[in-house]
Order: sequence, then C-alpha cells, then structure tokens
Amino acid sequence: MAQFHLEMKVNGKPIALDIDPGLRLLDVLRDILHLTGTKEGCGEGECGACSVILDDELVDSCLILAPQAHGRGVITIEGLALNGELDPYQQAFLEVGAVQCGYCTPGMILAARVLLNHNPKPSKQDIAKAISGNLCRCTGYAKIVQGIEIAASLKETKAGVSRA
Amino acid sequence: MKKRGYGIANMWYGIGNTANPNPSGAFVDFLDDGTAIVLTGCADIGQGSSTVLAQIAAETLGICVEDVVIVSADTEVTPDAGASSASRQTYVSGNAVRLAAENVRNQVIAIAAELLNIPTETVSLSQGEIWNSDKSSGMSIKEIINKCRSKGILTLGHGSYNPVTTELDPETGQGIPYATYAFATQVSEIEVDTETGIVEVKQIVAAHDVGTAINPQNVEGQIEGGCAMGIGYALLEEVILKDGEIQNPGMSTYLIPTALDVPEIHTIIIEESEISGPYGAKGVGEPALVPTAAAIANAVADALGIRMYELPLTPEKIIAAIKNRKEVEAI
Amino acid sequence: MPEYNIIGKSVQRIDGPRKVSGEAQYAADLDIPGALCLKVLRSKVAHALLQGIDTREALKVPGVVGIFTHVDIPGINSYGIIVKDQPALTNRVRFKGDAIALVAAEDEASANKALRLIKVSLQDLSPIYDIREAMREDAPAIHETGNILSVYKVKKGDVESAFKQADVVIPGSYTTQRVEHCYIETEAGVAYMDNDMLVIKAGTQNPHYDRRDVARVLGLAMNKLRIIQTTTGGGFGGKLDISVQCFLGLAALKLGRPVKIAYDRQESFVATGKRHPFFIDYITAANREGKLLAVKVRIVGDTGAYASYGPATLLRAAVHATGPYEVPNVDIEAFCVYTNNPFSGAMRGFGTPQMAFACESQLDLVAQAVNISPLEIRRRNIFQKGSLTATQQKLDVSVGIGKTLEAAWEKALQVMPGLGDENK
Repeated sequence: MAQFHLEMKVNGKPIALDIDPGLRLLDVLRDILHLTGTKEGCGEGECGACSVILDDELVDSCLILAPQAHGRGVITIEGLALNGELDPYQQAFLEVGAVQCGYCTPGMILAARVLLNHNPKPSKQDIAKAISGNLCRCTGYAKIVQGIEIAASLKETKAGVSRA
Repeated sequence: MKKRGYGIANMWYGIGNTANPNPSGAFVDFLDDGTAIVLTGCADIGQGSSTVLAQIAAETLGICVEDVVIVSADTEVTPDAGASSASRQTYVSGNAVRLAAENVRNQVIAIAAELLNIPTETVSLSQGEIWNSDKSSGMSIKEIINKCRSKGILTLGHGSYNPVTTELDPETGQGIPYATYAFATQVSEIEVDTETGIVEVKQIVAAHDVGTAINPQNVEGQIEGGCAMGIGYALLEEVILKDGEIQNPGMSTYLIPTALDVPEIHTIIIEESEISGPYGAKGVGEPALVPTAAAIANAVADALGIRMYELPLTPEKIIAAIKNRKEVEAI
Repeated sequence: MPEYNIIGKSVQRIDGPRKVSGEAQYAADLDIPGALCLKVLRSKVAHALLQGIDTREALKVPGVVGIFTHVDIPGINSYGIIVKDQPALTNRVRFKGDAIALVAAEDEASANKALRLIKVSLQDLSPIYDIREAMREDAPAIHETGNILSVYKVKKGDVESAFKQADVVIPGSYTTQRVEHCYIETEAGVAYMDNDMLVIKAGTQNPHYDRRDVARVLGLAMNKLRIIQTTTGGGFGGKLDISVQCFLGLAALKLGRPVKIAYDRQESFVATGKRHPFFIDYITAANREGKLLAVKVRIVGDTGAYASYGPATLLRAAVHATGPYEVPNVDIEAFCVYTNNPFSGAMRGFGTPQMAFACESQLDLVAQAVNISPLEIRRRNIFQKGSLTATQQKLDVSVGIGKTLEAAWEKALQVMPGLGDENK
C-alpha cells in the first residue's frame, strides 16, 4: 500500500512520518509516537477515552484517520504539564478527587480544556454538556464537574494576575 | 404530563466473602530514614485501596503518608491479599497492613522505651517523633530506627487478617456469614414524563454507614459513582440476548449514564465505628450501588401509582404500564 | 497529641499524579518490542461438541507463528474461582463466545486472517436459553453435574403459621436484567519469559487467584509464574475472572516469545461475565401495625454457561434477602442455574441490588396496605443493636441503619421540597 507522508504538530513538536493511510490518528499517537495517555475504550466514538485536541476542537481520535490530521496541531494529555509541573486542570482533578481508575481522565481533562477555551465561566450544566461525550464508570461525574469548576476559577485568577 | 415521585430504600451489606475464609497478608519494612515500604497483594482497580492502605500504615507508624510507598498486586513480591471484591479491602487488607505496621511499631517502641528509660505503654509514634504520653520526647523515629540497626535489628513487620465468620448450616443457613456489615439509606426524587415514559432522576440523597471513613473524599467518590451505576441499572442498561447472542455488544447500543444523566447526589457519611475494623472502618464500594435502583423504582411507583416489577424501567415499559392501567380503568 | 493525624483526612490519591499526566501504564499501553499479537477464535453457536479443528490453512498465513487449541493445554484445562468448570480453550461449546482456538502472529492483520481460515467442525447440541427450561429434570445437562449448580437455604421460625396470623400477606414477582460492567478499559495484557519464570502483566482484581488457576491450566509450579497487576481501568467484579491470563501464559510459554492481547469492546462484551438476571418470588407478611412477620423468597439466578461467581452471588442474595430488617420467620431458597447464555459472575453487589429492588418494593406495598408511610414502615422494622438476622447472627456493634435512615430523611426534607407530602 502506498504510504502517506504525514506532517503534523503534536504537543507543539513538528512530526513527519510515512504511514499506512488507513491508520487512525489514535493508532499513530499510541503505537508510533508512544503517547499512550490517549486511551482506546470503545473504538466507535462513544466513550471519549481517546479524546485529543485537533487545532481547537475536541475529537475522538478513534474516528479520525491519521491523514486528516495532516498539517494540523494535535494536543494530547502529555502536552499539558510544563517541565513536569501539572497544569491547573490536572491539579484541580487531583485536588477534588476526580480521578478513580483514571482511564477516562486524559480525555476528560482535554474536554475541560476545550470547554474553558470557548467558555471561561461555564455553569454546571455547560460542563455536564461538554463532557457528556466522555464516559466515566467510576466517579458519577460529580467530582469531575467540580474539578472543572475549580480549574475555571484557577484560570481566571491566573488571567487576572497576568493582566494586572 | 410530568409527574414527580419520591422513593426510599435501605440496604445492608456483609463485608468480605460469605461464610468463607478470605484472609489478607501484608509486609512492612520500616527503613533507616524513617520512610516505609508496604507490600500488599491488594489490587487497586481505581477504588483507591492503595491510598487507604498508605494512610493506615502512616497512621500506625507515626509518619506522614508521603513517606509510605505501597508495592501492590505482584505475586512474586507481595503476599496474597485476596480479591478486590466483596467491599473487603479496606476492612481485611486494611487490618493486615495495620497489624504488620503495629508489628514494626512495637519493635521501635521497645527500643525507644529502653533508651528513654520509660515503660513501653507510655511510648507512641506520631508525626515522625517518639512521644512519651502526650508529649514529644524530642527524639525522632529515624534515630530509633538507626539505633535498632546498630543493635542488629531490622524493623520488619508482617500481618495477616481473616474476618471472623462461621460456616452456615446447609439446611437452615444459620451461622455468621460476615464479621461486619455496612448499612445505607438512599432517597431519590424523580420525574416521569407520562407521554414519553422517560424517567429523569432529579436528586439522590445517599446516607452510608461505612464505619470510620479513612478517606472521606474517596468514600464520597464511591457513593457518587455507585449512585450513577445504580441509575444505569434502574433505567438504562440491559444486555439484550437473542438465542444466547448479545444484540448490543458496544457502547453505542449499550448505554451507560453520561454526565447529563446523573443528578446532584447529596452524600452523607455516617461513621458507626466497627471495633474489629482498622481504625473502625468497614467498607463502601458495593453498598454505594445496592439501594439506588430500588429507591428509583419506589419513586417511579410513587409518581405513577403503578408498581413496576421488572428492571430496567425503560420508557417502553412505563408507557405500556400506563396504557395497561387506562385499559383496566376503562373496564 | 491529636487522635489521628492521617485517618479521616482526604489525602490525595497516591496514584493520582501519574493518572492525570497520562503516564500511568494500563495493560494495553505496555510496549514490548517483538511481542506477538494474540487473537481468540470464539464460538458462534451456543451448544456443541467440537469434532475437529483444522488449522493447516490458517498456519500458512505469513506472520502466523502458532495456533493453539484444547489439545495444547499443558495442565488441567479448567478454571473457576468456585467451581473449576470453564476450559481455557474448549472442546465443548457452552455459549456464543466460548474460546476455541488461540492465534499468535507477528501482527494483528495476520492474526485476524488466520482466525477466518481455521475450520471447526461441530456437532450441535440443543441449547437452553430459558432458565425454567434448564431447571426441568429432563433438560439436557450443560455440565455433568446437572443444570442446578447450587441451592442455598435460609430458614428460621415457621413461615406458614405466620402467614395465617398475618393481617396482610403480599406476594410479588420481580425480574432483573443482565448487565455489563462496562469499565472503560477493556481486558488486556502482556506476557514473557524471564529466564524460567513466566511473567504475565494484566489488568485484574485478583492477581493471586489468577496465579492459582493459570498455574493449574499451564501445569506450572506457582513459584514459576508471576502475575503483575497493571494499572487497572475499573473492574466492578468483571475483572475477578480469568479473561486474557491463560491465553497470554499459554502462548508465551509455548513460543518463548513475548506476547500481547487486547480485547476490543465487542470481545469484552461477548467473552466476559455479566450481572446475574434474577427471577424473584417474594411474599411478605405483616401485622396491621406494619411489623414484618415473615418472608418467603424464591430466587433463581441465570449463571449462564459457567459458574464464575454465581454460587457466591446466589448465596449472598439469600443471606441478604430480608433487607436490613428484623423478620422473625423466614423461608428463603436461592438457585444458581446453568444455561447456554453468556456467563454471569460477580458484579458490584453480588446479587444484593437485585434483592434490594424486590425487598424494598415489597416494603412499600406493605406500607400501602396497612396505610403507613414508606418511612414509617422502615422505622418500625430496621435492625437495632441486638437484632437477629435471618441467619440468627446477633448484631452487636456498628449497626448504623437507624442513623442512615434518619439522616437521609432529614436531608431529603431539606433538598426535596415536594417530599413533605410523603410523610403524612
């Protein structure tokens, strides 16, 4: 099969690869780039465990063929911490106990990030809607929603500080 | 029309295997720098057992939780701690870790008492220091462990625990199936749309007697997650078979609750201390889910005045029940 | 000195940082260079004897390294936590999804191709999907021991005379459905030889049990088999059974190469245990004050093709059938029954959520019949310190049901304004 020359930015880093064009973005991230923080849960875009940020949108990387990411920017969970320092979303999830088995956590945190980029002051209902494509079987979502609320307030405080 | 209803359900749940031995073991190595390694077979599957076991070890050894490393669920290095099931790990493995840590603590206390020339009964370990009754002696645990080393003593501890039960009589079932029980009450508020048959859970109050809550946030997390799973059990989930073949083997056809399906859950932790539990703890993992569907079913019956006898309470069944009642009333 | 420094504190999860950063490695995240991909051939029929299996064409597929069937099992070909009735690779099919052959290949595509080329000849047996049919004396036996796997009884007092003396006697028949655990992480694992030690890493709820049964199936000494639990993405009872462990061990042992397996969601549904569907007949008797006098309960649980945790589920259901209430006369029987449905095993609650549905529904019906509130009937019957359970266990300490009932009600009155009417 003819190879596809894929160029994209992953977590800010330019990547160039020759790949089988039938690969899903999820396969490239996990199997070739070894970014295994992105999980596979269902393979049909229902559970959101494979969520990544493609440009500014949250996508299920199991439903995206890798060539569709050509020339675009991908952010995975590995791209959030800066020099080993967890970002506010990750901190907030830890603080409120939003993590149990942790399998949905990377996708949830990325969903939260996309939500807060578009809507810095979300209501509980906005948050529930934004993460309704990300399934969690452990937590009942309450602490995840709370974590996102805290992340929003942390971000706001930080933004306030940097403006001042 | 939308109708509101309220339902209440209680539950009890025996901690550990039913009338069957289910022991757990643990090893503790108290190291020269005052940190500790705990070896336990207990598998943390997301419920948080490793964190709870670290808390129990840290409390018993008088050090902070950051100074405990848990090595778990590796058959070559960790002792058997049974299954992460039956809501047993906090109670059974928690006791094993407590006993192993007490085993080490007693060695440290003996040397400290000798050094300070005080009776062992007055010595305790807390906050990294040796205490004499309610005062710090000013001597660190680390110093005592080093003293142990200079005397050729390795501060190693082991512990195992098996809940006290009896066999059950095969004809009458009489006996003691469990050493202790968790209890709970849940109240749910629901709204049924009588046109569509859709049930929306509006709120759940969940009060759980877990014994001592070693980690209250983890306990809340278990209760919230259990209620969510209980909502799925009551209203959404069913593996459909046709001639023994699963018709909905995927997440697009087998639906579990999303963030939009789970309402506010008011958790209440009741701590009815259990004398045989580690620091009074019992368990919570399964109890969290046990009464949820029952409370929802009672709320639906309250709203409609119709009792449903078959789970899950799908819109189709609810519509059929409403229709059936209308037909009966018309006769 | 404070009473406790750490107990009762919501310290952060010790595994939390690695989970939020994406560093935590679940079984499918483990990367072993050169690991072979494993795939399982599963039955599409529910009940049959395996007459022959032809792997010759499948073995010719480039990249296929080995194919294993029941004849390749080096030890005893059966496992199970309570009853050893489940073969790792079967020569008698008992449900749609039973494992027949295991393919090891250099890559997934070759393994899948080989699966399609394995020829299986089967002699069909008549399948039993209905639990009542399975319980008939003339029903064909799914296992040699017969279809009724276990019967548990809890008996106290004299139920029939209590029924005669009671002011209300209320019968109800309840059914509950088959449920999937649906942990977000499906079953997966890797295995390799470390000198003469077989190492299996997998998501599991019980590594020490896994060691017992994998050693049995592979004919290994327990100290030559190391099971390491990987970070596990939920279990809820579904990862208590053997799933991938025997496949991994068999292939690594036979081929001497590292191997890896990961179920997709469909295989996770088809191949693993479910929550037992229950059929419950429940009769409750009470006096006109709503004090419970007797219960008679018959429970039948469909454990499907294999026992798994079925007996434990039905026993726990029987023991908990009264709910947390004092009932002086009880007559409870619970049956665990084989069928040719997918097997049922442990799932969060072990039969007690099913029983709570029946028992708590009954309680509301009794309350209605004697014209008291659902709250009041519970107040009048819940366990107190010193109460005797159905198995005559005296509850001496830590009986918190009175407190949970009052606390839940008080909170519900605060947050559910419409509830006041309930308490009339």
